[in-house]
Amino acid sequence: MAAHVERIVIVGGGVGGVSTAAALRAGGYDGELTLVDAGEFPYDRPPLSKEFLAGAKDFEQLALQRPEWYDEQKVRLVNPATVTALRADRAGVELADGTFLPADRVVLAVGGEAARPPIPGGDDPRVHVLRTAEDAERLRSALLPGARILVVGAGLIGAEVASTARALGCEVVLADPAAPPLAGAVGEQVAAWLHGVHAERGVTTVRAGVESFTATASGLQARLSGEEHPRVFDAAVLGVGMVPQTALARAAGLEVYGGIVVDEGQSTSNPAVLAVGDPVRRRCDGVLLPRAEHWEAAQLDGRRAAATVLGTPAPAPTASWFWTDRHGLHVEAVGEPAAAETLVVRGVLGVPPFAAFGLRGHIVVGAVAVDDPTSVRAARRMIDRATTVDPGRLADPSADLRRMLRG
Amino acid sequence: MSTGIRVAALDDVPEGEGIVIDKSVTGTEDHIALLRDTDGGVWALDDTCTHEDASLADGWVEDGCVECPLHSAKFCLKDGAAQSLPATRDARPHRVEVRDGEIYLFPGEAP
Repeated sequence: MAAHVERIVIVGGGVGGVSTAAALRAGGYDGELTLVDAGEFPYDRPPLSKEFLAGAKDFEQLALQRPEWYDEQKVRLVNPATVTALRADRAGVELADGTFLPADRVVLAVGGEAARPPIPGGDDPRVHVLRTAEDAERLRSALLPGARILVVGAGLIGAEVASTARALGCEVVLADPAAPPLAGAVGEQVAAWLHGVHAERGVTTVRAGVESFTATASGLQARLSGEEHPRVFDAAVLGVGMVPQTALARAAGLEVYGGIVVDEGQSTSNPAVLAVGDPVRRRCDGVLLPRAEHWEAAQLDGRRAAATVLGTPAPAPTASWFWTDRHGLHVEAVGEPAAAETLVVRGVLGVPPFAAFGLRGHIVVGAVAVDDPTSVRAARRMIDRATTVDPGRLADPSADLRRMLRG
Repeated sequence: MSTGIRVAALDDVPEGEGIVIDKSVTGTEDHIALLRDTDGGVWALDDTCTHEDASLADGWVEDGCVECPLHSAKFCLKDGAAQSLPATRDARPHRVEVRDGEIYLFPGEAP
């Protein structure tokens, strides 16, 4: 580590920011470490569309670390506070209340906002988004038994919200123009089956986008594309993606292109500033990658950022991974299932537990599993090690995956 | 100190995997996961992930760690230390002994 790094400020207390702090301490950094967060305490977001939205977890249970952890790890938590400017000229950051925090390195873990496309009438208070605990609390108050709920977007968040709303007894319409949604993330066949589960569980799926909202006496009227008559709802939720927070980076003159651009080690165009998590686009071997926007990716960003600051070896690259839960099904995906030439199903597609391995030649490039976590963990290692696999054995649920990894 | 409870034969637990020993056998609050590392070593931790309701015995065991099957939180086999989010609390470890191909568990005793 460069000898002069004695003060690090992390901006943002999501999984990326907290993971950066943890990785810095785990890597031996013993200088000042400050985490600036806008909330009551740094919390985890995946439950916001699931257990927290359902009321099965309370806010304290979302804490990303135990309250004592910050003292134990000598992480100074400055909150609730907002950073308003990066001051490269003064080597530090400025808070909304005028406080200046000096820093040799700044790590931006600023996340983003839920996208709110310019739909006419979309500013109605009954049109929700879901990104923060406050959003989730507000939405939960609308998810009353029998409430008519429109979910716009059947990607990960939309599908999870639809599932939670249905379990709470709502009448749910799930609208998405894609056929099927999530095909890019889990491959066409599994995506089609997963989307079909919604209807089996009583969610009405509509292949459409929303064109406008109108407030009427009977409720929130939504006009869906291709439908002659508008439908009436008590509330709507937009689950149509996120907008990266790039304002701070932009104002500081950092390279921004559809996200905060960083190198393989998470450094921005200013080497004193690093960035992690949802708003980040990494440039690896000259290729600007899309934003990862996954929970584990933010954690890995944090470890890489810490390694860069400490001058230690970067963690080994690994295939991307995410999970999602809907209608009581635990779905995990790894790698790039959509990039596969052939699909090898272990078990029966549509009868959980099962896994679908995507192959190019005899190499696994991605996998999706429903209620079958072991297959995904094995697939991840097969991808990372470029293991040559026998499709016949892979398809046989009685064939041992660990043994296949050993070759 | 007790002589331990004989809970399984070594061959019952393949390398890289785990089995659950029911709390009615162990007398502990939680079931205990008997986990066999890829180097052959056997370790025991409270079975329920400290993050959410998942069985660590169903996890992926490799290189001194077990990875939770639900959200991939990692725990150190030796001492149960939480290695990665979303786990923030360590798993409780228990002492294990292997004698003559049999696994003996010492519930509640530190390894």
